[in-house]
Amino acid sequence: MRLASGEVVLEDATRSFRVRADQARTLKGLVLGKRAGGPAPVPALQGVSLRIGPGETVGIVGRNGAGKTSTLRVLAGIIPLESGQAGCGGRVVSLLELAAGFSRDFSGRENIYLQGALHGLGRDELEARLQEIIAFSELGEFIDIPVKTYSSGMFVRLGFAIAAHLDADVLLIDEVLAVGDEGFQRKCLQRISEQIAAGTTLVLVSHDPAAIERVCRRVIVLDAGRVVFDGPTAEGLLHYHQLMGTERGGGLSLRPEGRSGIEVTDVELRDGEGRQSAVFRAGAAMTVASTIRGTSALDPRLRLELRAMDGTTLFSSVHDVELGPEGTAQPAFEIAELALLGGDYDVVLGTGERALDRTLRFAVVSDSDAGGFIDLRGRWRSLEGVK
Amino acid sequence: MLRYRYLFSQLVRRELRRKYKGSSLGVLWYLVNPLVLMGAYTLMFGHVFRLQTIPDFPIFLMIGLVAWTFFQQSLLSAAESLIDQGALVRKVRFPRQTIPASTVTVQLVTFTLILLLLAPLAIAIRGTLAPALLLLPVIVALLFCFVLGCALIVAVLHPYFRDTAPILTAALLPWFFLTPIFFQPGSIPFVERHRWVGTLLGWVNPIAPFIECLRSILFYGNVPDWGRLLYVFVGAAVLLIAGGAVFRRMERELAVVV
Repeated sequence: MRLASGEVVLEDATRSFRVRADQARTLKGLVLGKRAGGPAPVPALQGVSLRIGPGETVGIVGRNGAGKTSTLRVLAGIIPLESGQAGCGGRVVSLLELAAGFSRDFSGRENIYLQGALHGLGRDELEARLQEIIAFSELGEFIDIPVKTYSSGMFVRLGFAIAAHLDADVLLIDEVLAVGDEGFQRKCLQRISEQIAAGTTLVLVSHDPAAIERVCRRVIVLDAGRVVFDGPTAEGLLHYHQLMGTERGGGLSLRPEGRSGIEVTDVELRDGEGRQSAVFRAGAAMTVASTIRGTSALDPRLRLELRAMDGTTLFSSVHDVELGPEGTAQPAFEIAELALLGGDYDVVLGTGERALDRTLRFAVVSDSDAGGFIDLRGRWRSLEGVK
Repeated sequence: MLRYRYLFSQLVRRELRRKYKGSSLGVLWYLVNPLVLMGAYTLMFGHVFRLQTIPDFPIFLMIGLVAWTFFQQSLLSAAESLIDQGALVRKVRFPRQTIPASTVTVQLVTFTLILLLLAPLAIAIRGTLAPALLLLPVIVALLFCFVLGCALIVAVLHPYFRDTAPILTAALLPWFFLTPIFFQPGSIPFVERHRWVGTLLGWVNPIAPFIECLRSILFYGNVPDWGRLLYVFVGAAVLLIAGGAVFRRMERELAVVV
């Protein structure tokens, strides 16, 4: 297969793994003529085909075990296929397992040389890049102490700094960026964008839709070893959230068992057409529908909160509910246009001052490249000449 | 392959320092261990249980021992090498041969250093300063090829069949005693009566002709006989080619099994 530099191709790639791959065949098994027994092999990739052009930025998402990491390892040439073809054009730099491949007893500087050599670089090429790598990692004097003393954040810094300076034509990154701190992440994304501008192809596996959204223009959704979606990022993440949404129930109860009184017994999110959903487009309509049951004579106060994933309350509102004759009520909170940016959020409902009864997670998909949570729908314009 | 020259030198460096990093003698342990072993064997077989009356027996013994130690240590460390470096194998694509090759190279460095201590001693005591010495580097190079071929095979076998290293460890001990290290097959009375035993000991055991060649050069000052020279040359070539072929055939699934 002849590939242009930066081109990535998988054709009908199929691969399965024995469940207990750690248990190698023993000579005893060989001598006694035993077949490698145990459960049937688990398919990791089942006829995956994809073609990625030079300079493309592709995110691969999917549930655990969907074949994301196997795809990267196959592309990196580490694992052979059972059938089909895989190939990357030009120099492939992979950042697969964090801190794996570092010699623990060696200093950060020595590990830079080793990692570079593993990717086929020579001494001169590495020496030319050394200062840049050290500066990028921001490890300072720690570059000369053994990496066994490093924190996971320091490993990411070093690992990424090396991978980002090896002049990759294809960069394969697996879930590594999430570990670094915010500032370093931004710097990495910046560096990745520079490389993409220079023609590097990026394939990123992540569970963090926000990271994919910021970097990738194309998303491939894998499920059970097959491609179930391949297209633009916003559509792809919507698909992904729908896939994941099936695993989320209709509201998680936060209230300890056996407490009487007033309680939110159910909560549901509905889209503009009244269908239950866990994924919404930014700017779309959303309704939070709830069911309350109470035995108290007092009419309860229902409290609704919208929270970001870090727990920050983005919005809260209180509503006095009138219970019906059977002690139930079905209040709903209607939102005409959801002013949120892409990401995951929690809706939390409770009665009374502090009690929070139910929480429900939903995802927002947005085309906006703005940061934060709230979509202010502002626009930039120039005021020059307007006096 | 040539692109990875620098990786190979990095792996050799890493292998040299990894094992004894933090110890006060550091890489000197690579010399101390075989020297102590050789000292012990020389004492036991040279003075306590003397099998044969060979003049300058300690020198005779040490020439065999240094070659055997190289062979044994190379195989034992190569067998575990791919699993020891599993983190690299699972992470990046590179020629995996460099890993067992680097462990054998580290052993070659030790072997060469000890030989450089031993050779002047042997030459001085035995008076073997002869043109045959020119063949010494050739024999060492052939021995390296032979050992590298064997090492590639055990290195790639062990991750798939984890019994390889224990079997090797068990086999090396009797193999050691059957190898003409502290005896000369031809001059044992039993062997003199049963010539075929001598042939077996000297020719079926592939490491024996290498030791005999080193010994003819250093101990007797003679050019090794043509039969043995041909044997070591063919043996080195066959093992190196076979080792490379077996390794290439079996390396595909390494990232899964290590």
